[in-house]
Amino acid sequence: MSTTSTTTQSSQAPASPPTQTRRAAVVGANRIPFGKAGGAYSSASNLDMLTAALSGLVARYGLAGERLGEVTAGAVLKHSRDFNLTREAVLGASLSPQTPASDVQRACATSLEATWDIANKIALGQIESGIAGGADSTSDAPIVVTDRLRRTLLKLARAKTLPQRLQLLAGLRPGDLAPVAPDVAEPRTGLSMGEHQALTTREWGIARQAQDDIALASHHHLAAAYERGFFDDLITPYRGLTRDEALRADTSAEKLAKLKPVFGRNGENPSMTAGNSTPLSDGAATVLLASDAWAAERGLPVLAHVVDAEAAAVDFVRGEDGLLMAGAYAVPRLLHRTGLTLDDFAFIEIHEAFASTVLTTTAAWADEDWSQRKLGMPAIGEIDRSRLNVVGSSLAAGHPFAATGARIVGTLAKLLAERKAADGGETPVRGLISVCAAGGQAVAMILEAA
Amino acid sequence: MAEHTELREVHLDRVPSLGSLYAQALGRMAQTVMAGRPPTTLPAVRYAADGVRADADQLAGYQQLLGEPGTDALPAGYVHVMAFPVAVAVMARVDFPLPLLGMVHLANVVEQRAPIHLGETVDVRAWAENLRPHRVGTQVDLVTEVSRDGEVRWRGVSTYLAKGRKLAGADATQGTEGSEHTERSEVALPPVAGRWKLGADIGRRYAAVSGDRNPIHLSGLSAKLFGFPRAIAHGMYTASRALATVGVARGEAFRWSVEFGKPVLLPGAVTFGLAPAAGGGHRYAGWDAKSGKTYFSGSITPL
Repeated sequence: MSTTSTTTQSSQAPASPPTQTRRAAVVGANRIPFGKAGGAYSSASNLDMLTAALSGLVARYGLAGERLGEVTAGAVLKHSRDFNLTREAVLGASLSPQTPASDVQRACATSLEATWDIANKIALGQIESGIAGGADSTSDAPIVVTDRLRRTLLKLARAKTLPQRLQLLAGLRPGDLAPVAPDVAEPRTGLSMGEHQALTTREWGIARQAQDDIALASHHHLAAAYERGFFDDLITPYRGLTRDEALRADTSAEKLAKLKPVFGRNGENPSMTAGNSTPLSDGAATVLLASDAWAAERGLPVLAHVVDAEAAAVDFVRGEDGLLMAGAYAVPRLLHRTGLTLDDFAFIEIHEAFASTVLTTTAAWADEDWSQRKLGMPAIGEIDRSRLNVVGSSLAAGHPFAATGARIVGTLAKLLAERKAADGGETPVRGLISVCAAGGQAVAMILEAA
Repeated sequence: MAEHTELREVHLDRVPSLGSLYAQALGRMAQTVMAGRPPTTLPAVRYAADGVRADADQLAGYQQLLGEPGTDALPAGYVHVMAFPVAVAVMARVDFPLPLLGMVHLANVVEQRAPIHLGETVDVRAWAENLRPHRVGTQVDLVTEVSRDGEVRWRGVSTYLAKGRKLAGADATQGTEGSEHTERSEVALPPVAGRWKLGADIGRRYAAVSGDRNPIHLSGLSAKLFGFPRAIAHGMYTASRALATVGVARGEAFRWSVEFGKPVLLPGAVTFGLAPAAGGGHRYAGWDAKSGKTYFSGSITPL
């Protein structure tokens, strides 16, 4: 995908495998407002929310009855019945039922991964159009039975005689019957994401004030963006919500400063609060991608192109790096590969899993010693804070895990198109995305205004 | 080693069950305590069980509980589970000078020289050696070797303490090596890498996959009989979980050591720390976040 031929191909399938690639276009995006856990979407399922976001996208871009090349989406907290979540959402939306669909999952980077997958298929000429997305509900999270009960039930189904069945049932204890809720802790360390980030926060010496500043900016930027109508063509209201439920337009430095720390309380000077950490959320988001030719045929303007992407992972299990620090690797490697510098980006979108994730990641980017030691390359430098998360990010919008990547891609594509229109020149207008994910992972992506 | 030549080999038909060994020991406990004679010598026997193989269901349960990769390679902690009952059989002998039940597991060192796989038959040898004084009693090493085709692939040394049992002829100045709950304040704790929340049932769950149903691990009531306020986690559960956390970075041939400190009362939480060791590999420790007292510490280093 890093080779950038501008050749467009006709919608007709090529006779032989493609030898040139093209940049996939971001045509538009749609999401539902994000809800807080137990809030407006408490009775909605992942499938309900993904179908709602997808239907809104289909309506906005007149895709009813269209057979798209692929729809790829996912959820992090997933019921076993949702094994074909995305295909079910396609069948529930008004796309052609002949539109194929697949499910993906890369924790909090799920829909950024889906965007990358669809963009690559378009870049290779394998498909002409596709939708990437994700949905997550913490309100409707799957509750499962204990391992012992599950194993007993499976053996019971295979048992042939009544005595065998009775013997199996007799082996159960009362505790085996208790329901098991999904654990937000990392399986290999037992630490929650917040506790992991608290360790990283301490390691990098990030102050409480700096974290609250990030949170305050997120709320004020998001509120201002709603006020100026920025999200009018990016959001479809759902279940009575027209704005993100976590958004506190009237929050202040004083209010944020009053909150008590919730993570890292075993250590000195805990600084991570409910105000500078993302709330558990419900929601869904989608992005429409296509070849330039496909968009032109339908008279749809293109917002931006996908330039390149890079995934990275860190060894957090053995404490080599913090759980959410993979963005400190993905972004410098991506810049190195594309020959770009931080100054080449008009906008920088860093997913605010926690305010301190943004601060520790950018601190690593600017740290010469760290960069030489860990990456074997010079530091990429300080970011210009006026370009960071300019219309708010996850702290204010909320963070339904699998939906966040698609929210950011849609938001950034529109920001780039706005800036390009305002500049009116031929100078490239680029945006950078970094999304950290559970399991010590991150995905970075570069978009460029069309 | 010299002791080999002096030991008489006793062949077992199969690996004995720990449950029956504990039951035997329980039956004899009263008489051993009553006798009260000071321990002098270890039985000059080496127990042998040949043609031992892993059980696939037990292996899967072990791997899932400890977080080991679900491959056919046996985790070093699983080999311990498979072979250690042969060593316990030595401790359960009438002529073993210390009481099996109630002994404290002080330390454990395993050398995995080459991996063992599901389906491979192995030969187990176990004996006791190095009966020596300790500040508060007498300690002994139980050695277990697991071989395939005559080559030792796995060797474990488990050190136990019998509290209040003074070795015959030991004077008070001897046995200062190691206190029961060793303080390791001279070595800084490694940085926090995890937090284990151990439920009240973790002793029973490890008992189910290890066969080690020592009453001190099963319930508060059965633990009280042996002087513990609540059930305690198996030491080897904590050490094996540390080994699983280091994971594939341990390589195929490694030395895995642990020293046990305060017992982990159940339910409970262990703060787990891990750091690269100076000479390669990793060192680890588990402690109580509130009191700072060490539950266990050790290292996993390449051989």
